[in-house]
Amino acid sequence: METLIEVRNLEVGFPVTRRKFLRTSTQILRAVDGVSFDIRRGETVGLVGESGSGKTTVGRAILRAIDPTGGEVIYHTAAGNVDLAHADAETLQKLRPNLQMVFPEGRVNLHSLSGEALRSFRPRMSLVFQDPYSSLNPRMTVRDIIAEPLIAGGLMRDRKAMDARMRDIAARCKLNLEHLRRFPHAFSGGQRQRICIARALVSRPDFVVCDESVSALDVSIQAEIVNLLKDLQEEMGVAFLFIAHDLSVVAQISDRVAVMYVGQFVEYAPTRKLFFTPRHPYTHALLSAVPVADPDIPYNPVRLDGEIPNPMDAPEGCRFHTRCPHAREACRVEAPAWREIASEHFVACHFAEEFDFSRPENPS
Amino acid sequence: MMLLSVENLSISFRTDEGPVTPVQGVSFDLAAGRTLGLVGESGSGKSVTTKALMRLLPGSAKLAPDTRIRYRDKAGQIVEVEKLKPDARALRALRGGEIGIIFQEPMASFSPVYTIGNQMMEAIRLHKGLRGRAARELAIEMLAKVGLSNPAARVDQYAFELSGGMRQRAVIAMALSASPRLLIADEPTTALDVTIQAQVLELMRGLQSDLGMSMIFITHDLGVIAQIAQEVAVMYLGTIVERGPVRDVLKDPQHPYTRGLLKAIPSLDRLTRRLHPVPGDIPSPSARPTGCPFHTRCTEARPGLCDRMSPAQTSFGTGRMVRCHLAEPALARSA
Repeated sequence: METLIEVRNLEVGFPVTRRKFLRTSTQILRAVDGVSFDIRRGETVGLVGESGSGKTTVGRAILRAIDPTGGEVIYHTAAGNVDLAHADAETLQKLRPNLQMVFPEGRVNLHSLSGEALRSFRPRMSLVFQDPYSSLNPRMTVRDIIAEPLIAGGLMRDRKAMDARMRDIAARCKLNLEHLRRFPHAFSGGQRQRICIARALVSRPDFVVCDESVSALDVSIQAEIVNLLKDLQEEMGVAFLFIAHDLSVVAQISDRVAVMYVGQFVEYAPTRKLFFTPRHPYTHALLSAVPVADPDIPYNPVRLDGEIPNPMDAPEGCRFHTRCPHAREACRVEAPAWREIASEHFVACHFAEEFDFSRPENPS
Repeated sequence: MMLLSVENLSISFRTDEGPVTPVQGVSFDLAAGRTLGLVGESGSGKSVTTKALMRLLPGSAKLAPDTRIRYRDKAGQIVEVEKLKPDARALRALRGGEIGIIFQEPMASFSPVYTIGNQMMEAIRLHKGLRGRAARELAIEMLAKVGLSNPAARVDQYAFELSGGMRQRAVIAMALSASPRLLIADEPTTALDVTIQAQVLELMRGLQSDLGMSMIFITHDLGVIAQIAQEVAVMYLGTIVERGPVRDVLKDPQHPYTRGLLKAIPSLDRLTRRLHPVPGDIPSPSARPTGCPFHTRCTEARPGLCDRMSPAQTSFGTGRMVRCHLAEPALARSA
């Protein structure tokens, strides 16, 4: 399949000012530090990692909702390639409708963003400002919410055509068309998430970032939304970057999965390879920590000692060495290279070849 | 005698649209040293049920007249929880001292303007009668017990200075510092990363066997239930639809809702093309369906039966119970 987005050495840094007595010092917090991967047209790439690993920042930086401080994001379009990381405002404005985002339901928190990040986010989030805990404006009808990207992107002027497009996408997202005049508060959590998805897809984008889109939902509704995303992808050929901390959901929806740790990728592979023959000790630790709903399957999570390091003073060498049960001298000194260990299987670990973390796949 | 026995717990709230009953006819027993897992979707009444056990419901809530909540306290006395006056000394002793509770969001359990130690010592002073240095030492000991590094320094820190996992450990330490005999854990690991969740689960399992404490563990994650609980109760729209030992219920579920939940969970052992949701949404408690509460979403529902008659409780096997018209004849045959 053809490549849609190529991320090369992406870096995002935030200046952090510390005041101590009368001295102020500014340090750069590298939330994303040299991430490279590609996303193909019409596929789903899962992105997992603990909170604070930089997953969300990667998604936002690709969309230029946050300005990257280094690297390139090459967007392959029919009219040629564009480097989103360095594109000017006018080009971005034109491409915006093709790149969309679904926020975590009810969990967009503007308070957690600050300074630079907030300023660059504001133009995209003016919708959210009324109620920072919900990603839907409570004063707009569902119809207006879904049609908003068409108006904002200047894609359509004709009201009739706009209405037809809006109704089409609402129907695909299995929203009741008779309820489109209602306000978001009248809808349940699952329905609201469908509205968010409809809004993200109404401009027929090539690429959508789904940031923890199903995490707050109950299992049953979660399953519905995952199936819906799969169906929409098949019908519309859209590519998803699916960011989540729940590994089992990511396993079901993704074609390929990347694992992130303190601002860097540690492993990136097709889903089956990543989940059943992982090569990085961190991936293995994450997988072993998921409790399974079967009391007969032994639960022996790998113990990771200590806390996730602060990206402000990330450890020397391999960033995982402070918690890795397999760490050796080389890990403390030298940062492992990002290399392709098998076809399409990328890993950043000095000793990846030595580990056998394979897990049995249940065929039934 | 059981540590806790709940009979016919029904809770209704006065609202502008008339009375709403989010919990109806819930009964269960809990033996000392056991863990009961309480599962269900949001809105199934899990949290309201456990809040009633501590009488933490708001003023607009009303218990049904035939509700019985019996708790055996440290002195061996039976406390009739539903009859306690809101200002009763016994209720004050019950909250925290007999029954501890930890919530999903650890930040909300701590005041941001007092140190962790300060807040722990308040609980210790109230329930243990220790003061000054002795109270402080116990607080430090509890923080060490939950695996916080350098507890002597942590005790003087504020909640915001700790990471999410450490904060949840501190909440557990605070709840345990009054040595409750029953700990209610309301989704204590839901907001945590899976690696931290594994640590907290291991910690709680260890502490429970050390202290011989009982637990009610509320979660929507059946994986967590399988690892921490001995018994499980599945709640739907304010009633327990299935109850029994964890292994039996997860391996051989009898209620269509339990089967649906198990099917809907995405598996980490198998990649599937599609997930299998339970069709439909959970109805609002103000528009409770007649008959079996689950019949609107049940694929096996029999018209004329399930939508008219409320199913009775069928007991079978070792300590199992199910509330379903369809399970009754089959179980009667096997019995």
